[in-house]
Amino acid sequence: MDKARLEQAVFELVGYMVTSGRNLLDETPLYGPFRLVDAASRLILILGKEGIASDRLAAMQEEIDSGKYCVMNSKQEFTSFLDSLVDALVDYAGFEAGGDIKEQQ
Amino acid sequence: MDLWEAIRGRRSVRSFLDRPVTRETIERLLEAATWAPSGGNAQTWRFVVVMDPAEIRKIKIVSPGLLGDPAAVIAVCQDLVQARAKGGNLGETFLAPVDAAMATQNLLLAAYAEGLGTCTIASFHRRGVSRLLKMREGVEPILLISLGYPAESPPAPARRQEEVFIFGANRG
Repeated sequence: MDKARLEQAVFELVGYMVTSGRNLLDETPLYGPFRLVDAASRLILILGKEGIASDRLAAMQEEIDSGKYCVMNSKQEFTSFLDSLVDALVDYAGFEAGGDIKEQQ
Repeated sequence: MDLWEAIRGRRSVRSFLDRPVTRETIERLLEAATWAPSGGNAQTWRFVVVMDPAEIRKIKIVSPGLLGDPAAVIAVCQDLVQARAKGGNLGETFLAPVDAAMATQNLLLAAYAEGLGTCTIASFHRRGVSRLLKMREGVEPILLISLGYPAESPPAPARRQEEVFIFGANRG
């Protein structure tokens, strides 16, 4: 990704986060954690296009994107989903940075 | 398409194919929207259609609820000056958003019948979107609709019916 495209992608992420900050004053409280984990996914996507990628970041993004919309179903389901993301973080925290997940499991 | 099929089949779609939607198709959807009822037959709604991908990206910057890359975004707006002139305070503060919502539902069902996916969005910054769309004073966006050919078929969330249907008085 060239510098201009990277700057554009980061600017759009900043817009997403800043506007979320304002709108969340008036929105459904559950949208706060949703926007946070979605922003994390978007950040991983940008970094990946910049060549900063790893198995564990890719795994986290996949886990976020596969379950994030359960926020629409129930608080209980969304809470369990967020807990599972933290569990995954704990699992991956001890892995070597940038390493192969399968080799370290 | 059968009306019940559209009512039951429509989903909120947040992932779209990279496939354009024609202006003629969107014009049919807008016609469906304008057949919705409006309080006092005010018809003070306005529909701003954005099909330029660069413009859509700008709107997304101030619209956290606008997810995916839709072929078009429709801002369902209300001319609140006209709404007040026609319906007074009730027209401006209550009927205008209700009318916009009824028009939106017509559009969503018509879009589904055309094989399109849609999502209704309230999570956007109103002044930010108004500035980007260069709306004139008094016209405000009430809802955004993202629109495109769907890249997903979300499952139907459960529909609650217990305690929702109330027949008779004094049971709410």
